[in-house]
Amino acid sequence: MEAGKPEKLIVNGRRLDGRRPDELRPLRIKAGVLKRADGSAYIELGKNKILAAVYGPKEMHPRHLQQSDVAVLRCRYNMAPFSVEERKRPGPDRRSMEISKVIREALEPVLFLHLYPRAVIDVFIEILQADAGTRTAGITAASVALADAGIPMRDLVTGVSAGKVDGTVVLDLMKEEDQWGEADMPIAVMPRKKRITLLQMDGNFTPEEFRQALDLAFKGIDLIYEAQKEALREKYLPSLQEEKGEEK
Amino acid sequence: MLFVGNRELVVPGKLLADGDYFAGEGTFIEDGKVFSSVVGLTEIREKNVSVISLQGRYIPRRGDRVIGIVTDTHPYGWTLDLNSPYTGNLMASELAGRKVDVFREDISKLLKTGDAVLAEVKEVDERWRVQLSVGERGLGKIREGRLVEISPAKVPRVIGRKGSMLKILQETTGCRLEVGLNGRILIRGKDPAKVNEVVEAILLIEREAHLSGLTDRIKARLEGKK
Repeated sequence: MEAGKPEKLIVNGRRLDGRRPDELRPLRIKAGVLKRADGSAYIELGKNKILAAVYGPKEMHPRHLQQSDVAVLRCRYNMAPFSVEERKRPGPDRRSMEISKVIREALEPVLFLHLYPRAVIDVFIEILQADAGTRTAGITAASVALADAGIPMRDLVTGVSAGKVDGTVVLDLMKEEDQWGEADMPIAVMPRKKRITLLQMDGNFTPEEFRQALDLAFKGIDLIYEAQKEALREKYLPSLQEEKGEEK
Repeated sequence: MLFVGNRELVVPGKLLADGDYFAGEGTFIEDGKVFSSVVGLTEIREKNVSVISLQGRYIPRRGDRVIGIVTDTHPYGWTLDLNSPYTGNLMASELAGRKVDVFREDISKLLKTGDAVLAEVKEVDERWRVQLSVGERGLGKIREGRLVEISPAKVPRVIGRKGSMLKILQETTGCRLEVGLNGRILIRGKDPAKVNEVVEAILLIEREAHLSGLTDRIKARLEGKK
């Protein structure tokens, strides 16, 4: 089990990939990458590559699943068989079903679901390449895709993970740190009001470390939130110029 | 106090105004402040703040002119697909313009599955059940013409400022257009070549809805082919 474990995960205050404890991995978000979806987004966070697609609001079938007063949000988190080193058996499993559920619960609070009673909004999160922190990056991408689909939202949702490796509290764990570290805490937030919509933890923190990790996560979220907004603006910026030009 | 200019690109959760402002479409109020709920362009008219969404499905509203396609016949009328999360309902008596005894008359003679209908949204109830009406002149079953489907969010571009784009499309080609706010557009014209030109132009508008000088380019394109 310990095979391949590096002796130290942090050397001279630098992590295995050269980051400082409070640094994120390189981040890239692009909105509107799928033509046939109502909304979509692609995110790269370090070696993570994730595609999110949104369909809806649309009529809910089967009808008995309709909610007469609100729209239903359905989420599917799925890892591609080639997303990890050892081929993952395709299809939903215990882990991905749980993650789908927590992602749905992380996204629900920002949506005005009562605007579309009897309808359904489908969110698909496909992990093309995984390197720890896929559920939080998936949430980040999914909320951009929801906004891209024109679905009314109170705010975006931004996710990031914090954890502990070699006794140091770090931001945005990568695979090695997730595997050999002492704690991993994915967290999703509605950044405007700093409301937490997802908080899970695996491993051990002292109360003091927990607070440190939370602070660190919020710092990371601020950066990712800006990238999300930028991705949305980037897609529509040409339309802004056009509207201005037409006014004359 | 306003935090944005007019026609500014905003994203969900952006603070737009604080204080004595009315929250229009595409916005919501939280703690007395107005925020944007969609990606779109702000529109500020005196004390009204709204955001025009750049994406999204068609949501039926009373008074909208739409083009529906019959998906089902039920005992008293038809269910129409409106290119929306919600289907429309058209009563047989509404279409016939008189009382219809559904026990004696076979209403399936009036409309069949797949037929297109130009209609107006008569009523939308709190459960989003949509009633359609065809009372006004020109409304009713569509018997001829070409139907084009585009994204409902881009329909305003086809109409243009105060109908300018629509006017160009009609005057330069001699075709008549009926624009359904649900993204379906009916083109009627004698010359099939002209109809094709309009279809091409509309698809171009949809593709380039975000680019500037669109009205002029469409005009040049259509006039050049005269």
